[in-house]
Amino acid sequence: MLLYTNGPRLLSKFLRSTPPNRLVRCLSTNHEDYDVVIVGGGPAGLALACALGSKSELQNVLKIALVEAGELSRVHNWSSPNGSFSNRVVSLTNASQAFLKDTGSWDYVELERTAPVEEMQVWDGISDARITFSTSELGLSSTGHSGMARLIETLNLQRGLLRHLHAMPTVQIIDKSRVQSITSDEAPGSWPMVHLDTGRMLKARLLIGADGPNSPVRSFANIPSYGWSYDTQAIVCTMDHPPKGPFLGPNTTAYQRFLPTGPIAFLPISATASSLVWSTKPALATALKACEPSVLARMINAAFRLPDVSVGYIHNRILEAHEAGKPLTEEEINAEILWREQSHSINQTSAYSSMVPEASIESRIPPSDVELVPPIVTSIQPGTVASFPLRYNHTETYIGEGQGSRTVLVGDAAHTIHPLAGQGLNLGLGDVECLSRCITEAVMRGGDIGAYTCLLPYTQERYLENHKIMSACDKLHKIYSTSFGPLVQLRSVGLEVLNELDSIKAAIMMSAGSVSRNNNRLLSYNSDARTTMFNVAAKGVESMNTAAHVARVVRDGLTGLAVDTLQNVAKAATPYHHAPKDVP
Amino acid sequence: MFPTRLLRSSTVNANEIAHFSRLSAEWWNERGEFSFLHKMNPVRMQFIREKLLETAYDEQPEEAVDAKKVGILEGLDVLDVGCGGGLLSESLARIGARTTGIDASESNISIAQHHASLDPRLASNLTYKHAPAESLLTQSKRYDVVCSMEVLEHVDNPSMFLKTCAELLKPSGHLFLSTISRTPLSYFLTIFMAEKVLREVADGTHTYSKYIKPSELLEFFQLYRSSLPYSVNGDSVQTQSRPWITRLYSGEPTRKEAEVRGMIYNPLSASWVIAPRGAWGAAECNYLFWIRKPALNDTL
Repeated sequence: MLLYTNGPRLLSKFLRSTPPNRLVRCLSTNHEDYDVVIVGGGPAGLALACALGSKSELQNVLKIALVEAGELSRVHNWSSPNGSFSNRVVSLTNASQAFLKDTGSWDYVELERTAPVEEMQVWDGISDARITFSTSELGLSSTGHSGMARLIETLNLQRGLLRHLHAMPTVQIIDKSRVQSITSDEAPGSWPMVHLDTGRMLKARLLIGADGPNSPVRSFANIPSYGWSYDTQAIVCTMDHPPKGPFLGPNTTAYQRFLPTGPIAFLPISATASSLVWSTKPALATALKACEPSVLARMINAAFRLPDVSVGYIHNRILEAHEAGKPLTEEEINAEILWREQSHSINQTSAYSSMVPEASIESRIPPSDVELVPPIVTSIQPGTVASFPLRYNHTETYIGEGQGSRTVLVGDAAHTIHPLAGQGLNLGLGDVECLSRCITEAVMRGGDIGAYTCLLPYTQERYLENHKIMSACDKLHKIYSTSFGPLVQLRSVGLEVLNELDSIKAAIMMSAGSVSRNNNRLLSYNSDARTTMFNVAAKGVESMNTAAHVARVVRDGLTGLAVDTLQNVAKAATPYHHAPKDVP
Repeated sequence: MFPTRLLRSSTVNANEIAHFSRLSAEWWNERGEFSFLHKMNPVRMQFIREKLLETAYDEQPEEAVDAKKVGILEGLDVLDVGCGGGLLSESLARIGARTTGIDASESNISIAQHHASLDPRLASNLTYKHAPAESLLTQSKRYDVVCSMEVLEHVDNPSMFLKTCAELLKPSGHLFLSTISRTPLSYFLTIFMAEKVLREVADGTHTYSKYIKPSELLEFFQLYRSSLPYSVNGDSVQTQSRPWITRLYSGEPTRKEAEVRGMIYNPLSASWVIAPRGAWGAAECNYLFWIRKPALNDTL
């Protein structure tokens, strides 16, 4: 852009100098020209390649390459014995599934290894205020959807996408190739050149960064991003548990409890296995990971069942033992939990008891509140315990400009999000769907798909959409990571009210992705009826958060000076989230 | 009929050419002076695509038309009169047309050539020429489609310009124009707001008196007959076609002869949209115009 300010002078410079330069470059290098180069073979990058490769309009029109540093044949040939599951599991909304069905990739996914979520139980760790969503209440069962979302191993999805890609010749997969550097000419509008460590050079009309949170494409395009690390690690693992008894429904309920240290989630993947996502403080995460798997299983059961004060106590015990270098044994942790249960007068036959039931118990009539908590975890699948830090990150725009023009970001390269709502990949697939639609539209109208004008509708449609869900999740995390009394009351009321209001449930029903996206639809400004379930929840959370803010101001006002109060009121009154920069 | 102007041999206005030559380096800055044109381009292309598809459906059995085909202009000779930096020409070439872009400004042509050279896909079917439209009449080559977008309001002698475009077409060829109507609204939006207040467009780009109303274009083509070579007993005789527009129904031409469509800028989404056919007031400012040259045997 800057180069343009001295237009005429630079212009004459180009005209004189460029043709010989170009000639020299063509002679000295042997690069390959591509219309689309996708960097990153994760789910978002693969889904984008599938979406572009499967469009009938784009056959033989676009030359597409996908670059991945790792070896994709390992994903392609991945298999896992029945009953054992990979620890990375994602929840795909019905909208995401509809998109994958539209592109044809869904046929390549091993459906037997996925499970629908037919009910969700979410409750407050301190007050036990609870909200329940179920498919039957939402009326989704009549629309042909099994569940409000579907849990699937990331590897299963990636493998399906790869198999789909192998079935179409239009996309060239270049794996085992790391991006060494990305360069571009001085001339504005010139195509970026991707240098691979194998020595290959790819020149891209449009360079798409699907290369994750530390995106090299984003650094090349010089797109700033803002965000922060949560002081939180997420522990993941695959848990085994007995099948639900004859008096209970199938294992299709997802559970999430908001503890002050972070939410713990139980995601069903088969009748006897479920996936854990437990966000907690880093020190505790380290201590928990160092425990024996059997101890971790006990801790998971307790974390869903014991009152918060006891959960906190046992966490401290774990931390102390870890620091002393003597991790708790299974007997010790059992004794601790049993003692805490007795002091809360939790009967061993109650649903809230964390004790592993006797084998004979299966035939017994279960306690009435058994569906309020997840099944008792009996063991952890070996080698599945892992953890990763949590971040919030959103780029200022999705399109590169100036020297970084002809680049666009999708998925985690553009935004990373707290996993508490399981929306990360769904946002990524939303990006992919929109971008592939945008590219097709531009091609049909003879547009240059790398041009800013062609990509602008993508940013316009996705930025606010993503921002809305991202900030809702961020605020949920923040609201629930406090045990400050009034705030707990406030958020509990929020949850219970949300649970009672049929109209909100009806809205969620509309938005849980029951509408398949129409690929032939013209681009429109944020017009979709496909607001996901979290859009509705997001609005509730926003207002709760504002109220919480006011409550905090009032508290500060009582203890501090009147001046402070005024300042806080002023702060509370001003909207504090970042306005997206690129949306007009 | 048109704002009065003396008939001269060329339609090129020297001041206008100097103005655009000054701006030529800006042509491909999508966030600069010409951002409105960049945003308008997809809509103009959509109009061309839809109109060509519509005529294809009229003339061919439905199954023979592939509405999803990208290269809808494949095999057609297309002329872009007043191509400027080549915004439209490049798009035409990308959907398959053998495209010739001409412009009266030499620096525009160099910019267009330079920019096209950056895209290897354009090398085979896009050429540019620094020439006024009239100079092409002396050659025998005629075109399937002639486009002249946002040009009519800058030329000196609109009726002669239109005649030139019309004569450059093969029989049954398509002429696509886009321009600005002469109404208080268009003065307010394209001159007062765009040039004086918001300064989105360079001051002096537009001259109100040169704007042409859709009704004036329709009137012109109601009278205009193209000359046809016709042979009687082996001797070739010049004869005339029917007027390009045979009749109007309450001010509107029939769908197969011509079409006027308003083009509206939506500042919220920062994009242009084509207004529906016959939408009231839509063609008060920017509009697209399509007309078809009568077929060879259509003498009436």
